[in-house]
Amino acid sequence: MITVPKSETGGSAKALTAILRVFLVAVCLSAFIPAVNPARVSELISKNASLFTCAISYSAIGSEFVRALSMGWVSQSTLAVLYIGALVVGLVIALSAAAFCVSLGNLKMRRLSAKLALGAGLAGLAGTSLLLLSRGMMAGSPEPGRVQPVLPLGIGLFFALFALEILLSAGVWMTLPKPVEEERYEIAAKYRLFLMILPFLVLVTLFAYLPLWGWRYSFFDYRSGFDLSWDTFVGFKWFRYLFSNPATRKDIIRVLKNTFVMSGIGIATSWFPMAFAIFLTELRSNRSKRLVQTFTTIPNFISWVLVYSVAFAIFSTEGFLNWMLINLGVITEGTNYLNSGSHIWLKMWAWGTWKGLGWGAIIYIAAISGIDQQLYEAAMADGANRYRRMWHITVPGLMSTYFVMLLLSIANILSNGMDQYLVFYNPANRNTIQVLDLYVYHLGLSGQSSSNNIPLATLIGMLKSIISVTLLFSANKASKLLRGESIV
Amino acid sequence: MEGNRIYRLTVGDRIFNFFNGLFFAAFTALCIFPIYYLFINTISENKLVTAGLINFFPRGVHLKNYVMMLKVKDMGYSLLTTTGRTVIGTVAMVLASALVGYLVTQQAMLGRKIIYRYIVITMYFNAGLLPWYLNMSMLGLTNNFWGYIIPAIVQPFNIILVKTYIESIPRELEESAFIDGAGYFTVFRRIIFPLCKPILATIAVFGAVGHWNSFIDSIILMSAKPTIYTLQHRLYIYLNTTSNLGKIVNSGGSLSADDIANLMSNRVIQLTVAMVTIVPILFVYPFMQRYFQKGIMMGAVKG
Repeated sequence: MITVPKSETGGSAKALTAILRVFLVAVCLSAFIPAVNPARVSELISKNASLFTCAISYSAIGSEFVRALSMGWVSQSTLAVLYIGALVVGLVIALSAAAFCVSLGNLKMRRLSAKLALGAGLAGLAGTSLLLLSRGMMAGSPEPGRVQPVLPLGIGLFFALFALEILLSAGVWMTLPKPVEEERYEIAAKYRLFLMILPFLVLVTLFAYLPLWGWRYSFFDYRSGFDLSWDTFVGFKWFRYLFSNPATRKDIIRVLKNTFVMSGIGIATSWFPMAFAIFLTELRSNRSKRLVQTFTTIPNFISWVLVYSVAFAIFSTEGFLNWMLINLGVITEGTNYLNSGSHIWLKMWAWGTWKGLGWGAIIYIAAISGIDQQLYEAAMADGANRYRRMWHITVPGLMSTYFVMLLLSIANILSNGMDQYLVFYNPANRNTIQVLDLYVYHLGLSGQSSSNNIPLATLIGMLKSIISVTLLFSANKASKLLRGESIV
Repeated sequence: MEGNRIYRLTVGDRIFNFFNGLFFAAFTALCIFPIYYLFINTISENKLVTAGLINFFPRGVHLKNYVMMLKVKDMGYSLLTTTGRTVIGTVAMVLASALVGYLVTQQAMLGRKIIYRYIVITMYFNAGLLPWYLNMSMLGLTNNFWGYIIPAIVQPFNIILVKTYIESIPRELEESAFIDGAGYFTVFRRIIFPLCKPILATIAVFGAVGHWNSFIDSIILMSAKPTIYTLQHRLYIYLNTTSNLGKIVNSGGSLSADDIANLMSNRVIQLTVAMVTIVPILFVYPFMQRYFQKGIMMGAVKG
């Protein structure tokens, strides 16, 4: 390999570059904060829209002005200026992100980064000016009261940010020495790898960590369609409400009962897949084993809506079951069994078993094939019959797998998911089918937005998440203590 | 156990085998019959179906129901949406899992361990339904097709599977390429990616089935945009409609009186849509079978 001569950088340039990097990250992050959205030049634009949202989708701005536009309160060109402004600032943010990435490279890269940041700062000033212009055009509307122009805090902030970006990058550019002629653009391996994975870290942050920030809604009197503001901060009101409001308390107790009973039945029968696997391997022909396995795993791959449509086909008034019972003379008129509210817990367990038994057995079948055959031969030589071999060799051989499964299902005791219960839900069975997840959905998202209680639903979801994580890590701890192996 | 023929079967053994076989035959029938029942009810004469008279064998076989359902505009949109999200979502997820799985094996990366944990730990917690919804809405991904795709790109569990798989590949392969002057991305594209195909096929199968089957996101996130309802969501709506579905079918006004007379019953429409939704899964199922056993075992021994 050819060694490329490296250029030395002075201490002040290093410090300035470091400051510029931090600064660029701050610029990028502020694009995602709705409170400092510089494009919110009118009260009509949602307080929950960030600059990012405004820049990537025209409808975030346009949809709010449909009426104002048709009534002539605001002109098409005003909106165009506003949107172009948002787009320019958005692109500037992207450019700043690029400048950050480039700044991780060698001297030549860092000089490029300073140039990019300088360009971004200048373009940013132009973009914010456009936003300011559109705000002025709004103020000049024939009906300013309808358009409600405001001067967003964000415009000032971004103006300052971009001005600083210009100063800083110019400073970096001037303090950095000229690179040696032969030096190439290069980024050290550790940064290069980091930059490659960075987009995915952003995705993880956006979709797994950012929602945690939504927990704040449980401390506010939030209604859908309105904005979150400090006037509606209510502290622990919903926590108290959860325990002191009699109707809610009654609901929670009922829902928890459903949740625990249905999870409980599941846990009590969690050895079914193991038994299924053990008896399946006792089938004499390999072909029938494979056949059974193939067909019993199909239900696992169809969604709960499809399971419901299967149930619908069989159990509805014109379905198979009614036809059979009428022909056998048991009943004279068909009924829709899905509308009945009796034995829901058992029925839900039965559907879960229908869907999951064959699939759940696969892991045990694989574990059985891993058991040492010599054990069986030795046992047979000692005169152990089939049942003894199953009980004393196969079952103990599967116990560690079973233990992991059991711990996981105990950790998931509160999370039955909502798919199954949502599709089977109807007014006749609502009292016994509503599990915690479904209750949260009904409370917070279904129905008219006026009747939804988003803070309470958020709070219940939050408590559920915290308890679930605690349970999972306790189960893990238990597994470590008992078996010396972790499960997560 | 096989190969124990030297022992004579006792009466007890015979009884055991009989009942054991009987149980599995019954359970297998229980798994298959409902789907078969669904199928024969969509290809039989519609009058008999509506009266609930098709039970074991189809009668008056015809495929008109399918032809007509596929003409329905809503069904076309839903099929397009579901197929689109399945293809795009799966490809994006598989490529991302492969790349991230490869990157986290590179010791040289800045903060490698922390980054890996940062990704993997997200498997064990979630903020809850409402925060998820509010977050998606804040990001502009509600009533937006990309709301199906983008959140599902990074799947920690699949990343673990790929990483574990890559760690089993001899390091010398990579190192010799590095010495030849290849960059990280070239090594990934030319060496690691082709070698990972078996595990990528496994996660692709699971990812595709997951995309095809999901409907909660469609119900919660996309309510204001019926053109991007998934097929499962559409089926859910039809199953819960008590008014006459025949009207929906004829919304395009493209059907003759004869067609309408043939396709008026809600039951026929509901069962046909269910079958349209189920068929692709049954179709890819034989291919999947090769992979899922492998997948579940690797999941069990994950590190």
